[in-house]
This record gives sequence, C-alpha cells and structure tokens, in this order.
Amino acid sequence: MPGADSQGPRIVVTGIGAVTPVGEGRQRVWEALLAGESGIAPVESFDTGAYNVHLGGEVRGFDPARHLRTVDPARLGRASQMACAAARMALADAGLEGLEGEDGADPGRRGVAMGTTSGEPREVERFNDSYVAERLGDVDPRFIALYPCHTIAASVAAEVGFAGANAMLPTACAAGNYAVAHACDLLRSGRADVMLAGGADSFSRITYTGFARLGAIAPERCQPFDLERKGMIPGEGAAVLVLEPLEAARRRGAVIYAEVAGYGLSCDAHHMTGAHPEGDGARRAMEQALAESGLEAGDVDYVSAHGTGTPTNDRLETIAFHRVFGDQARRVPVSSIKSMLGHTMGAASAIEAAVCSLAVSEGRIPPTINFEQPDPDCDLDVVANEARELPVRVAMNNAYAFGGNNASVIFRGVEA
Amino acid sequence: MDVAEMKASIKEIITNITNLDPEEIGDADSFTQDLDLDSLSLLEIGVDVDYEFKLGLPEEEMRGIDSVNETVALVTKTLNEKNATAEVA
Amino acid sequence: MSRPDSTGGRGRRPVVVTGAGVVSPLADSPAELFAALCRGEGALGPVEGFSVAELSSDGGSEGNGSGPIPDLAAELRGFDPKAYLGKKNFRPLDRTGRLATVAADLALADSGWDAEARRQREVGLVLGTMFGSVHTISAFDRRALTAGPNYAKPMDFANSVINAAAGQTAIWHDLRGVNTTLSGGTTAGLQALGYAADLVAGGRAGAVLAGGADELCLESFLGFGRAGWLAGTGYGTGNGTGNGGGAAEPRPVPLDARRNGFVPGEGAGLLMLETAEGAEARGARVLARVLGYGSTFDPSRGADDASAVSAVARAAALALEEAGLDAADVDCLSLSASGSRDGDSREARGLAVVFGDRLAELPAMAIKAHLGESLGASGAYQALAALGVFAEGRLPGVRGLEATDDGLTVPSLDSAERPVAARTCLATALDFDGGAVALVLAAPATAEVASGGA
Repeated sequence: MPGADSQGPRIVVTGIGAVTPVGEGRQRVWEALLAGESGIAPVESFDTGAYNVHLGGEVRGFDPARHLRTVDPARLGRASQMACAAARMALADAGLEGLEGEDGADPGRRGVAMGTTSGEPREVERFNDSYVAERLGDVDPRFIALYPCHTIAASVAAEVGFAGANAMLPTACAAGNYAVAHACDLLRSGRADVMLAGGADSFSRITYTGFARLGAIAPERCQPFDLERKGMIPGEGAAVLVLEPLEAARRRGAVIYAEVAGYGLSCDAHHMTGAHPEGDGARRAMEQALAESGLEAGDVDYVSAHGTGTPTNDRLETIAFHRVFGDQARRVPVSSIKSMLGHTMGAASAIEAAVCSLAVSEGRIPPTINFEQPDPDCDLDVVANEARELPVRVAMNNAYAFGGNNASVIFRGVEA
Repeated sequence: MDVAEMKASIKEIITNITNLDPEEIGDADSFTQDLDLDSLSLLEIGVDVDYEFKLGLPEEEMRGIDSVNETVALVTKTLNEKNATAEVA
Repeated sequence: MSRPDSTGGRGRRPVVVTGAGVVSPLADSPAELFAALCRGEGALGPVEGFSVAELSSDGGSEGNGSGPIPDLAAELRGFDPKAYLGKKNFRPLDRTGRLATVAADLALADSGWDAEARRQREVGLVLGTMFGSVHTISAFDRRALTAGPNYAKPMDFANSVINAAAGQTAIWHDLRGVNTTLSGGTTAGLQALGYAADLVAGGRAGAVLAGGADELCLESFLGFGRAGWLAGTGYGTGNGTGNGGGAAEPRPVPLDARRNGFVPGEGAGLLMLETAEGAEARGARVLARVLGYGSTFDPSRGADDASAVSAVARAAALALEEAGLDAADVDCLSLSASGSRDGDSREARGLAVVFGDRLAELPAMAIKAHLGESLGASGAYQALAALGVFAEGRLPGVRGLEATDDGLTVPSLDSAERPVAARTCLATALDFDGGAVALVLAAPATAEVASGGA
C-alpha cells in the first residue's frame, strides 16, 4: 500500500523446491511446465464412482523418505510430507543444505512461513471413518497432532532445524503468496536472515467433494481463459522458496533467481466463494503490489494468473486486470499453469512464485495449455499452448482465494 | 404427504439455511428477487430438499427453481414419477 | 533503566490499541471479563453442546481406547449471535465464524469504527485460530460419507477452509484491508497480534483488528482427550503420547504442583490496532501500546526440554529487544500456562532465563485457570487481561492455585487478585507443536516520566 516502508534490504529468491503433479524438483518441474506437460489424470487416491467428475492433479510416486532426513514421515500428514520434501530441495538448491551450525549460522535467525487451504484433511477423513463406524475408541491418539494445519510449518522447521519465526497462513488459494509476503516482511524488518516460504496442500476426498458439490470441476480438462472452459480441477503439491537479503546472497555467491520487489494484499469482503463482480479486491492487490515495487503496470512483462479455469474466476480476473493495465492489457503475456497442474490450492501461488522467479531468471514463460478458442470476456494475451521466450524483467503473481483473500506478488530481475 | 406438509418441510429447510422465519417465506416469493438469496444458499436449498425427499435429481433440474411453489411442483412431479415407475416394475 | 514510554518497534510507527471486543464464557466485554477474572470466576463445567460420555465410552477395536474423558470444558453457553448481530442472516456462518463476527462487531463499536468509516477506509483483520472449524469440515465429510457426495452441504464446504471465519467476518463488517488468518495452537492469538502490529508499524495498514477465535467441538475435544492432553486423561504432557487410560480427578490449574492437563475453552477476542498518529487524528482513546513481538520455534517440537525452554526464552528476549525494554522494565506477565505439566513448566523456565532471580517477584496472571485453553482466543484473552491491569491497577489471581512445583522458579503468583501497578506486560505462549511467541504491551503513554523501574 502506498506509504508502506520500502526501507530495509532487498529480498531475493535463492532456492526453489517443489513437489507437483508433473514431477519434483525445480529443474524437472520447470522443464515440464515449459513443455506444456499435464499432470491431470483420473483420480487414484479414492473412488470417484459416485461423482460425475473423475480427474485430478495428484502427485504420483511421491516417497517422502527420499527427502526427509530428520522427521519420520510416518509422523506427518501428506501435505506436511510434501512441504518438508520441497523445503529440503529448496535448501539444497540454494546451497544452504546441511549448514546447521556449520558456518556459525544461527538457527534462531532462520524461519519458516507456509500457506495452505485445508491442512491435513485426510486426518479428518480417518477420524470420520471411526466416527461413522461408531468406533470412537479407534480415533488415532495422534489425530490432534497430525491434523491442525500449523503442523505444516512446524514440520518444515523441525525437518531443517530452523528455530526462528514460524508462521502458518492458511489463506486458502492465495496462501503461497501470503507466505512469501510475510517472509519478506520478516526479512526486511530484520527478524530473520533466511526464510523458507511456500505452500502445501494434499489431495483429499473432502476437498474434491466440496468442489464437485459446487459444480466447479471440469469434466475433461482445465482450460483457463478459453471460451469453452468448464471449471477447475483439484490438485495437490508443495513448493518452497528460499528467501534472503540480496547482500547476504551475493556475499555467499548464491544463485539469485529474482528479487521480490513488492506485494499487495486485499480482501473483497463480498462473498465466501464468489469474487467481487468488478474485481475490486483483485485490482487493489495488484495496484498495491505495483506501488510498493515502485513500478507501473507498463513495466510488467509477464503475469502468472490465478486462472483456475472456472467461467466466473477467469472473467472477473480479466475485468480486474483491465482496470489495472488499461491499454497495456493486451500487451502483457498471461498464463495459468493450473491448466497443467490443476488447482493445487495452498501450493498454487507458491509454485507460481517459483515460476515467476524462473521466468525472470531465464526469460522463458510457461504456456496455458488446452487453449483453443479465445473468449471475448477474457481479452488477454494468453500464452497459448507453447512456452515463449522473451526478456522478463518484471513478473506478477496473482492469487485469489475463498473468503475473498487476494494477493499479488511482484518479482523482478536482479542486476549482476 | 400432502401439499401443506410439503410446503412446511420446504420452508423449514429454507429457514435453516437463511434464518428467515417460515412466516416470512411466501409460497410464491422469488428466492432470488424477493428473498434475496445468493447462489450458495440456492444450491444448499436444492441439496437439502433433494436429501429430505430422496429425489435423486440431476443438478440441472434443481437449477432455476425459484420459489416454494416451484419446489413443491418439482418434488411432487418427481415423487409421482418414482411411484409410477415403482408400480410398473 | 525504565523506559516505559518507549515507542518500541525498531523506530517504526508506534502502534496502539484503540478498542477491543470479546465474547467469552465469562463475559462479553473486556471490562466485565476482567472483573470476572479478578473475582476469581471460572467457566469450567460439564459440556452441554455434545455428550462427553458418548465420546469416551468406546474402548476401541483393540482395547486401547480413551477410557473416560472428564466431562469438563470452559464452554460459552447460550451464545446468541442474534443478540449482537440483529436479524440479518448469519446462518452461513458456522460457530467459529459467528464468534469472530460478534467479537469484531463489539471491537469495531468499542473503537469507534462505524460502518461509514469502514466504507471510506480499509480496515484489516488478522485472525489467529487453531482449527478454523474442525467441526464444520468433519460434519461436511460425514454427510458426504453417509449420504453420498451429492448430498454434501455446499455452505459447510465454504466454511471448511481455515480462513472461513476471517472471510465471513470481513464480509459481515465490510473489512476490505489486509485479511490474514494465522494458524497455531496456543500461540495463534498472540501471533496474530504481532503480525498485525508489524503491518501497522511498517505502514502497510492503518487500522487492523487482530486476535483470535476457536470453538469447542466434539472433534477437538475427543482429539485432545485421545492424546491424553486433557486434565485427568493420563499424562497431560501435551506430547500426544496417548491417554494413559486411567482418569484422574482433573486439575487444570496453571503451574499447580498437582496439575494434570488443560481443559478446552472457546471464544473470540479482537483488538483494534492503529498507528498512534492515526488514533490521535481521529480522537480515539488509547487503551495500550504494542511495543514488541517475538516469534521463535523449537525444532524438536517439544521432544527436547532444553530446546523448548530456549524457544520461550528467545521469543521473550526478542520481544523485549524490539520494545526497547530491559527485563527490569517489565511489570507483570500474562502467561499461557494452562495446567499442562510440561508446557507450564517450560514457559516458566524460559521466562527464568530472561528474568533470572527477578522472576519470583514479577506478578503473573494465568487466565486459562478461569477460561481454559481457548487456542486462538487465548492470546486475545491474555492481551485483554493485560489491558485490564493497566486500567485498574489490579491483577487477577490464578484460580485454584495451591502449591507450585518444588524447585521450579515461578513468577509471583497468588490464587486471589491483588493490587499491582503495571505499565508494561509481557504475554507469552508455547505451542503444542514447538512455536513460541511473546508480545510486549504497555499502558498508554503519559506526559509524565514514570518513576517505577530500576
């Protein structure tokens, strides 16, 4: 927001880790997204026979034991497992792995901020299996330790030994952006030297049922901004970014992907599951992010859209977009990787933050796949079906959530 | 179940979802225009009416129902069709 | 060195509290709540909202079931949202949403932020909670399980996301500023206050409601009981080691030598945080200043005692450092001690690291003796108790306290209220899961330099 202090160090992304429906690890995920690979497939983790939709973006073949070194995966729910794995990969990517105490780094100056939509809903499913069978004595004594969503941030910190600020921001589908924003604030205000920030969510019967019940799930594919789009497809995953002050990153010779130039947060205060009809909250979040970054709409080279693929979201998102970008609106390439991953909920904007960082770093942007017919209501330069190469100095990451939470984060290239 | 009981049952469902008193719900009142119900409330009413009367209706048939009278008509029609099918079977 | 008029916050904008709202089992205004705490009233009693006997009667298929769980909670009975919110349809809100919305309603009125003011300016909301509502997501799933997915209730799904209460409250009260939910166990409320104070201090928000909410429900009650964390359910260690199966007489008394676990509570509390400058510009009265905040983590998640104690000590030290205060400048403590055997002890020992020998003279209150473990709401209750001390110069006793642990250095505690002149208060919390937070509050600044302090 105008007036926000921009004092304090510049914050950069120096590590990326991810567990997604198209693979694990920064390199694998980025290449898959650029290639337009889809992670959508028939749901395997539960029986969708009673539903009239059957597709999901599940993470397949994930083995937490390959990544976790400290915490026993059996003591974690799935979202926490994926978050811990992503955190390990991010730290390795940043060249910070195994530093506990070795370089004199104070673990109390290293913290974690994570986001999620529903935490560990499979634990509720297990609780209910006992409840419905009238066997309450079978409820796991660890239910209350496994289920609450703050275990995601806690387990990440336990896994990597970070003893500093620890925050869990369950702001639904915008949570990853909220976590990145909060991490930046902690770094800028000097509360931490290194922050892990990201998001995680687990596929679950509960989440799938909810979206199916709202009629929000597309029967065949996710087609953001397409004229014939029919909805979103639930997914799961986790992504974690390593964030630190620019000078510290330079001093240790870290690879720097991008700077987090600024962010904007707003609330629609309109409806729990429907966005403001004029995209008012989304507009304010974008404007605040630009203002804090000292940028104008014309400076943006790429936008990673929220783009869930529902008829309503994409239309309203476009309205907000036009209000901010004006006559620039058709100039800025826009893509939605939800076309490939489905909607990974709390992980979505964290994965998209990674994408924006890499877009800035490499000058490549992933496509929106399944794009066949433009929609006049979504009058945007959609990066259709194939990745593009072009210099990206500034990328904007937009995310909008149930409950009307909106968040925009801007990534910018860092001079050598 | 006669029509009066059906209406009362439907109004109770609406009350549970909207906090409106049954007396405030006119039989012909438009859900969207007169009672000012949003899409989420309408969806929930449809789900609960279907659940209550065991209609097993596809989504599309519940959409567009906009008053107690229309709901009664749909419920009656569906139950009659089910009974007719049962008799034939 | 006493610096009670410190502005804290690393030289950033001073943050003040201009109003508060609370809905709790004991009272629905900060003043009445504080009076009840001082009178030594407790909200603990049998649960009315669900049957505890039914929850804990099943021995489990392998015979390792709960054993009896004492029928005891700090329940908010007779909560009637209509009395506060009027006739408008609050049915889409679940219980947690209603608690938060009502607390917001009261806080907005108390701080003078009426509807027109909220239309003109964006007021934010930061809500701390442990569950949002585990009951709502569970009920949603149960209906789908038993009746089929087509009969799942859409409104319950909308409330199954953990930020639902914050979203509903914002819709109800037109709060279009920053809207964040922070999840934690015992720490969430204080964490929300710290997060909000940072937003205001950093110029990112002008006015933000902050605090927490959580509801009492059978799912969390059973979960705590099965874990053996509840008073009288086995070990009361807070480590999820399982209910020992032998129910003892519940003794949920903070820092008491015979304590054996906590009792779950519920409610909501929200404080309006603004810049001092903004408050002055609109002629708002100031209840307190937020001087500093610290957030740390115990990477052993409670398995290593020293690590847990360190997390508390470090959080307190960080909060004091940010506040620009020395340990000697702290006049009283608002503990998160709840009757948990390990948790209470670790909080006290963490504070002993910071305060040394002085700890034994530092007056402390432990509101969970009266209100139980209210999770997200606890932090708000702890903060509101501090505001009460500042305003009235008396400190609530710890209800039911007899002796404390041999050899454990604890703050100055009394089972009854006593007069205490306090201009600063440190509130702390140690979570089940390793998080630790500390918040430094101060009485409104005065023109006179206080003579107290070393």
